[in-house]
Amino acid sequence: MSEEILKALMQLFAIISKQDDGINFEKREFVKSFLKLQLNEEKVQEYYTLFEGLLIDKKKKNEEGEVSGDEKKQKRTSVTDSVKMLGICKRIGKSLTQEQKVIVLVRLFELINSDRIFSKSRIEIIETVAKVFRIKAIEYQAIEQFVISNELATQTKDNLLYLTGELEQNIEGLKQIEYNNLKGNVFILQVPKVNLYFLRFTGDIQVHLNGNSLPSKRIYLMANGSVLRLPVGKPLYYSEIISRFIERPDDVSISFEAKDIEYKFPNGNIGLRGVNLSEREGNLVGIMGASGAGKTTLLNILSGIESPSNGEVLINNLNLHGKDKDLEGVIGFVPQDDLLFEELTVFQNLYYNAKICFKSYSNIELEKAVTLVLSNLGLLHTKDLKVGNVMNKTISGGQRKRLNIALELIREPSILFLDEPTSGLSSKDSENVLDLLRELSFKGKLIFVVIHQPSSDVYKMFDKIILLDTGGYQVYYGNPVEAVSYFKRIDSQVNSEAGECTFCGTVNPETMFNVIESKEVDEFGNFSEDRKIKPERWSEIYQENFKPTEIEVVKNSPPKSLNLRNRMQQFFIFFTRDLLSKVSDKQYLIINLLEAPLLAFFLSFVVRYVTNPEKGEYTFQDNENMAPYIFMSVVVAMFIGLTVSAEEIFKDRLIRKREEFLNLSRFSYLFSKSILLFILSAVQTLTFVVVGNYVLELNGMNLPFWGMLFSMSCIANIIGLIISSSFNSAVTIYIIIPLLIIPQMILGGAMFSYNKLNYMIGGGIEKNVPIIADFMPARWGYEGLIVDTYTNNEYGKRFYEIERKESVCDYKQSYYIPLLKEKLADIRIVLANNEQSIKLKEYEFNPEEYLAVLKNEISKENVFNPIVQFSAPKDINLAHFNNALLESLEVYLDELNSFYSLSSMGLVMRKQVLTAEIKNNNPALFSILKANYYNSNLNEILTNSLVKKKIIVTKENQVMQIVDPIYLNPLKSFINIRTHFYAPNKYFFNALISTFWFNIIVIWAYVLILFVILYYNVLKKILSFFNK
Amino acid sequence: MELINIAATDETPQVILNPETHVFEFNGKSLPEDVTEFFNPLMDWLTTYQENPGIKTIAIFKMDYFNTASSKLILDILMLLEEIHEDTEGVTIEWHFKEDDEDMEEAGEEYADIVEVPFKQMSY
Repeated sequence: MSEEILKALMQLFAIISKQDDGINFEKREFVKSFLKLQLNEEKVQEYYTLFEGLLIDKKKKNEEGEVSGDEKKQKRTSVTDSVKMLGICKRIGKSLTQEQKVIVLVRLFELINSDRIFSKSRIEIIETVAKVFRIKAIEYQAIEQFVISNELATQTKDNLLYLTGELEQNIEGLKQIEYNNLKGNVFILQVPKVNLYFLRFTGDIQVHLNGNSLPSKRIYLMANGSVLRLPVGKPLYYSEIISRFIERPDDVSISFEAKDIEYKFPNGNIGLRGVNLSEREGNLVGIMGASGAGKTTLLNILSGIESPSNGEVLINNLNLHGKDKDLEGVIGFVPQDDLLFEELTVFQNLYYNAKICFKSYSNIELEKAVTLVLSNLGLLHTKDLKVGNVMNKTISGGQRKRLNIALELIREPSILFLDEPTSGLSSKDSENVLDLLRELSFKGKLIFVVIHQPSSDVYKMFDKIILLDTGGYQVYYGNPVEAVSYFKRIDSQVNSEAGECTFCGTVNPETMFNVIESKEVDEFGNFSEDRKIKPERWSEIYQENFKPTEIEVVKNSPPKSLNLRNRMQQFFIFFTRDLLSKVSDKQYLIINLLEAPLLAFFLSFVVRYVTNPEKGEYTFQDNENMAPYIFMSVVVAMFIGLTVSAEEIFKDRLIRKREEFLNLSRFSYLFSKSILLFILSAVQTLTFVVVGNYVLELNGMNLPFWGMLFSMSCIANIIGLIISSSFNSAVTIYIIIPLLIIPQMILGGAMFSYNKLNYMIGGGIEKNVPIIADFMPARWGYEGLIVDTYTNNEYGKRFYEIERKESVCDYKQSYYIPLLKEKLADIRIVLANNEQSIKLKEYEFNPEEYLAVLKNEISKENVFNPIVQFSAPKDINLAHFNNALLESLEVYLDELNSFYSLSSMGLVMRKQVLTAEIKNNNPALFSILKANYYNSNLNEILTNSLVKKKIIVTKENQVMQIVDPIYLNPLKSFINIRTHFYAPNKYFFNALISTFWFNIIVIWAYVLILFVILYYNVLKKILSFFNK
Repeated sequence: MELINIAATDETPQVILNPETHVFEFNGKSLPEDVTEFFNPLMDWLTTYQENPGIKTIAIFKMDYFNTASSKLILDILMLLEEIHEDTEGVTIEWHFKEDDEDMEEAGEEYADIVEVPFKQMSY
């Protein structure tokens, strides 16, 4: 309680105390004891002095009033006091919650209860306080009666629990509990609006609340988890009290049977042997046992996560492991780990979880449901706090645990399983959690809890416990307190009949384990490794002593409230949840948004090369680093895309486990992840391109750059998702990243020319791109981008086509036709030596192969060049070869040569005309066209101008053009996946499209395939196959 | 709006609520059995008045005594006047007390602390 409120309370106490006959001994004592509960010794004195001071002040004035007024008036409350009281209430009312207001009201009642003088003026003041606090009249009256009346008859019955020695028969609807031989009565009042429970008692009895003896005449607030002990009978737990006020819905009937459950681990060890249990709704069952006894295994089987090797689990006579539709959503499971989104608030965590599960709820209904659950779990005040992680706590461990439970609770499963919900919690928090579970079980839920070393209070809250011993033997199943006496009896210890300490009511479950696990003593008095009684024996003793319990089996299908949204809706919920959690992580957001432009600036600034620093300014044309820049951009896009996604699924893995348990759509989840990452990638690559291209003055290329880099980032995103869903630790994931990125760099086509790679992987000058490189996204990205940068800028748009034709003519004249002529000349020698037939072995070359080259090439040229045709290329072979054919070939090649030289001249003229046109129409553009759009570095690489062999003949007797790949369209085919590198266009479904678009299509086809791999978790399955 | 003029009794004060002059008067003592029964009609009247208040409103309290329950309802009236004052800036409260009645004087001061309306303390 804050000092301000305490001060105000002192003032209110003083005002009430001085009414009627003024202060007396009882009130002073009350105020003192009240202060002692709130404050330390020193402060108590301080506040008590304040209280006394307020009284004296008043008294004096009262006496003055007495002089002036008549007899009647001094019995009345002075108007100053009335108004002062109003002022105090208004002031503190602003800072008090409704709960605190009720408590203040009760304290005021307590004050007047201390001397039990309930005069009109006192009551009037308290009533007025209640009005200012806006406490409902009905609640006010219940509290008033509760404090004032010692008789049951005059109490308000609705919200009352009556503990008595003799049950009242005549009062209908009265909640009461009988305590034999209780010489007094205990009243417990519920204030429903604020969910507070107050206690007072009459008669001469000793009452202990949480181990403290209570003086009578006081009103006690029963805190969550309190234990009330009366001189006779069982202790009464907070949860039990609550259960009396909670009405259990009628429609929950659950029968749960586990029959002869056995479980073998994959390695052949036996985890569970013949576990039997049968339960009905409304019970809280503890699963206990030494570590390694199979507690968690049992929980997993009972909840349906794992299947037993033998035996069956029946819920309302339906087999849990038979994937029955009727059992979907009936079971809730709270694992030991956190299932929370650290970046989301407590409210959001619960809200999005609930949203998926309740299809029919509107947002307002959802908010209400979430708020209700939060307030039931005492989490409402933490509603807007970020959950945070274990290292960076914003809510306590107990609150985290309760929130985890809330995730399952909100969808109201009928059967709830919890794996060690109290581990790592303080004893107070543990009790709170158990109390919550107790309360739920009273509402009709069946709850199984694996629990380790429970305190006495926690232990006694269970209705039943299942004890497992090492090796998966069931050694006990039944009442927890009886369990202790059972094991003591078997061990024939003294006082075995009392399960709990008769003096203090404490049960020590540890003694039970001491008995079970007690070791034999050897002849030297040392404990040996051997058990006195082995697990098998315990199991036998149990079966001798206990008969299996019979329960009534419910035949109706169990109630359920799970109503999942469809995939589309799930997608949107997953998406918003993810988006919110990312947006609220400022550090993540800032780093991700700054990373790309910073790298772009660094990269582009470093490679902004000026050829001649003394003389010149920077020109795009002379930047020698354009090709490496394009390649690095591709690598950066992939790298960013990969790192941003690599931990995405991994960090959600526990949550996913739970969501898979709920049958939530994996597709929706993965799709929402992908889309969110794509959006992030779009922004990142856009900033990268804008900055990088600006610095390097790569004009007019932002859109294609962005399109390609975005595609690269997207494919990297999906690859990242695949590894993040396949590997088991964050470290492994980050070790995998270089394994993925570096091959991209090696086989991307920029750093090492494909022509010069190892033959074994498909390198070599006469080959196309190696097949292995076709699996590298970087190769498609780089090729598409560099080709587009060369052909699709202001210069390329105007000159590329004409230059391509020039290149064709040039190649034919300079390399192609001379090569063919050379071959023909050699053949001529053969023919000259032996006119009739050809002797093959005598020549350095194989004339047959030469003829094959000629035949192949002339056939191709016939297709390529419709104007100069050779009539019958099929006849070019050894059998048909003769002088006439030789001559006609020579004529043909000459014709071809003159055709290309003629075309060449035409092209020169057309280029001149084109240049002049641009010069006239757009002189400004012309002056900068080459400097700003044409790049010599790109030209050098794309025309392969430094290569020595410009043309080669392959083993298959085909001529292959090595020079000018950028000007060489591939041969027509249905789809050109395999072409030479830097081809300007490719065939896609028989249509020639630019390499840029072709490669983008390839990349997105990969994205699609990878998404399928991700969806079916192929990599993980392969990995786990190898693990086996 | 109608003029309200309630004569004083042993337990209730004289109340005049005049919509024409915008002057409200409360004279005498207030300790009725059921305070809400007495004050509710007055609160209703004032709530209606609030919708269309005068430029200047004067509330005169000339009380001999009031009990705790009445004090709360007087506060409610004062708070309603406070709201009217927020709109019109024209409300004045005159708190009259007998020269030797320190109790009533102090009560006036306390009220003045709670509500933010011009509060004139006047002895007679």
